[in-house]
Amino acid sequence: MTELYSPEGRVGREAVRLVAAPEVMAGARIGVLDNGKPGAGLLMETLAHELARRTGATYAGMFQKGSAATPCEPDLLAKISKSSDLVLTGSAD
Amino acid sequence: MAADPNKPDLLELDSDSPEALLEHFEAKGWGDGLPLVAPTRERVEAMLKAGSGGGPADEVIATLPPRAGEATRHALAVNAVLAGCSPGVLPVLVSAVRGLARPEMNLRGVNATTHPVAPLLIVHGAAVDASGFNSGLGAFGPGNRANASVGRALRFVLMHIAGARPGDGDASTQGQPSKYSYCIAENASASPWETYPRSQGIDAPSAVTLHCGENPHNFHDMESETPGPILDKAASVMATLGSNNAPVSSAEFFVVLGPEHAAPIASAGWSRRDVQTYLYERARLPVSTVRDAFEVVQFRPWIEALADDDWMPITDHPDNIKLLVAGGAGKHSCVIPSWGMTKSVTLPVEP
Repeated sequence: MTELYSPEGRVGREAVRLVAAPEVMAGARIGVLDNGKPGAGLLMETLAHELARRTGATYAGMFQKGSAATPCEPDLLAKISKSSDLVLTGSAD
Repeated sequence: MAADPNKPDLLELDSDSPEALLEHFEAKGWGDGLPLVAPTRERVEAMLKAGSGGGPADEVIATLPPRAGEATRHALAVNAVLAGCSPGVLPVLVSAVRGLARPEMNLRGVNATTHPVAPLLIVHGAAVDASGFNSGLGAFGPGNRANASVGRALRFVLMHIAGARPGDGDASTQGQPSKYSYCIAENASASPWETYPRSQGIDAPSAVTLHCGENPHNFHDMESETPGPILDKAASVMATLGSNNAPVSSAEFFVVLGPEHAAPIASAGWSRRDVQTYLYERARLPVSTVRDAFEVVQFRPWIEALADDDWMPITDHPDNIKLLVAGGAGKHSCVIPSWGMTKSVTLPVEP
């Protein structure tokens, strides 16, 4: 028997969690946060429109991050959270 | 084997064989696939005793994304043991982790990107000889315990504490060999210029520099005895469309000159600043070439304003070209482009 330490250490704070998805999409507002990756805005905007069409939700518009490589600007985040109930984002290369 | 609920940090293995340790860590998704040194209580305590400088073992040095893992001295010591470090190097690792947590490093992006970026750790000053880092022949490896194990420990910190494991917190499409270990030392005795930390305003007995970059891109020049032809080859390596730096005008390059390239450049009277300025002037691409190649760019406004038939510098300021000396005999040097959206840091070694 040998004892050894875990290499992970503690988690310092609760990881950021996604809010729960709306239970009913009808009437919900769908936003898109475009991270600037090639084609990301087109892909997610198309998905948002299709989702809205199928569920009775509305399309709240697309927002543009400064860079895919840096966190979303706090002002922009606040603006999105006021205007959207569901946000599509995170499209990669 | 089972974890003791009263001692959550301690694991119990039925066997103390290297194979059992490797198998257990592999099952947990820990380690880099290579053999490990068991982080037993005795080894971790020895690491802390030799390298904590009296600082509390449970002090949080940094909280690292994306996992928000707490990098305490104790957790760093565990990873240092795992990587095979000798006890005296812990302050170098602790200082490197402080550097990684600086906002300008953008560690969340570094860990999350599909680019194959890895933090290069450069050790400067008294710590180089004190801990046996290799600044000379073969500095990038292999064959030196301090370089190999401290670089490896830093990668373990990213994988285990920060949560940057391939496919999870690390999305690198192909990875790169420097994600195993990426650590060198500055060859100050062979450098004709002031030490790199001093050039960055850091005056400390020992220091570390962190640069999140690609693997080294070699350039060789066996013929030239004057600065221009040698540095033109460096500029040629820098001005490539393949690097992430091409569409990011604020990006940094580290140019690591071998002593036999640095000597003729300095003998001609060139300062570090002269080299930076020359490379800034020579490492250029036609604006239209870059515009045609990238749909998304991060250019300064003045570069945006250039005409298609102008030539644009591959980086927007000479300060973004970082110059130091490492290596030994031979006429080879290298360029290390960054990931783009990150800035290097240099800071004193403190326990």
